Amino acid sequence: MTRGEAMIKRKTQPRAQPEGELDAGKLELGEDFQDAECLLISEVKVLLEAQYEGRKGEEEDKEMSGVFTRTLEYVQKFGRYTNRDTIKEVRALMKPTSLHPFECAQLGNLCCSEYEEAKSLVPSIGDKIGDEDLDSLLKQMDSLKKYQG
Amino acid sequence: MFFHKKLSHTITLHPSFLGPRMREFVTQRLYEDVKDLCSGRYGYIVAVVAILEIQMGKILPGLGSAEFEVKYSAILFRPFRNEVMDAVVTKVNRMGFKSMAGPLEIFVSTQLIPADMKFNQHSNPPSYHSEEQKIEVGTLVRVKITGVRIDATAIYTIGTIKEDYLGVIE
Repeated sequence: MTRGEAMIKRKTQPRAQPEGELDAGKLELGEDFQDAECLLISEVKVLLEAQYEGRKGEEEDKEMSGVFTRTLEYVQKFGRYTNRDTIKEVRALMKPTSLHPFECAQLGNLCCSEYEEAKSLVPSIGDKIGDEDLDSLLKQMDSLKKYQG
Repeated sequence: MFFHKKLSHTITLHPSFLGPRMREFVTQRLYEDVKDLCSGRYGYIVAVVAILEIQMGKILPGLGSAEFEVKYSAILFRPFRNEVMDAVVTKVNRMGFKSMAGPLEIFVSTQLIPADMKFNQHSNPPSYHSEEQKIEVGTLVRVKITGVRIDATAIYTIGTIKEDYLGVIE
């Protein structure tokens, strides 16, 4: 490619990064999402259910978007924490660690039972947290889930 | 992964809407535009959480329509390569199985299903089964995304269950 062609190409290319560069395993999420707030499936459930209740009251014949309905069904099926207080406590448990928001959200969503499983499913955790600390974190999250109201 | 992000959208209103309920029309139009939108850059826009700011409208010379830039925050769903997520199986055939994670479809091909799981075409419904596990329509599976292809309006992903801790969720 000549320099002239490269200059033209740069102007007309969309700003999104090429997909091949993005890799959740290495926490390379692209400039749009690297610092974005990650939501737990249970948090999305709380938000979508609130919206659903709101919209149900308004107009009965307003059609919900397909994306909204499918996502609502998904989060209702896979949301592990049923109430807001539990979600707050889970967030508070992960706050003092040095884990990236993406990793925290993954741990909250996947609910691993042991540190090996967590480190295998979320490889970017690596050495950021010790095995025993991770194990104790997972056990606390598990007991929050078991004993939630 | 679900994200919460601040986005910006430009709405153009015909002059007939420029009256006392103008702001209402702008918000309505935003909800309609963003509904069912899948952007290549931001993934699926699941829902608008809040409208942060509707900037002052700018009249387009010659047309009379007004352009508003609306800043809002929304819930986005965007898959990444090597991300692990849970999904529901929707279709099983000889080539593999299709599963849905929210609005996203993930296809897992036979090559990325463990070798001990065999396709059983005679079972009703068709399924993959090994001695311990069975995959049929409706099964919950934990999948790792291996490839993401994004075009302007949709996201296509393929996944694997061939690694540790993946596969059927009890």
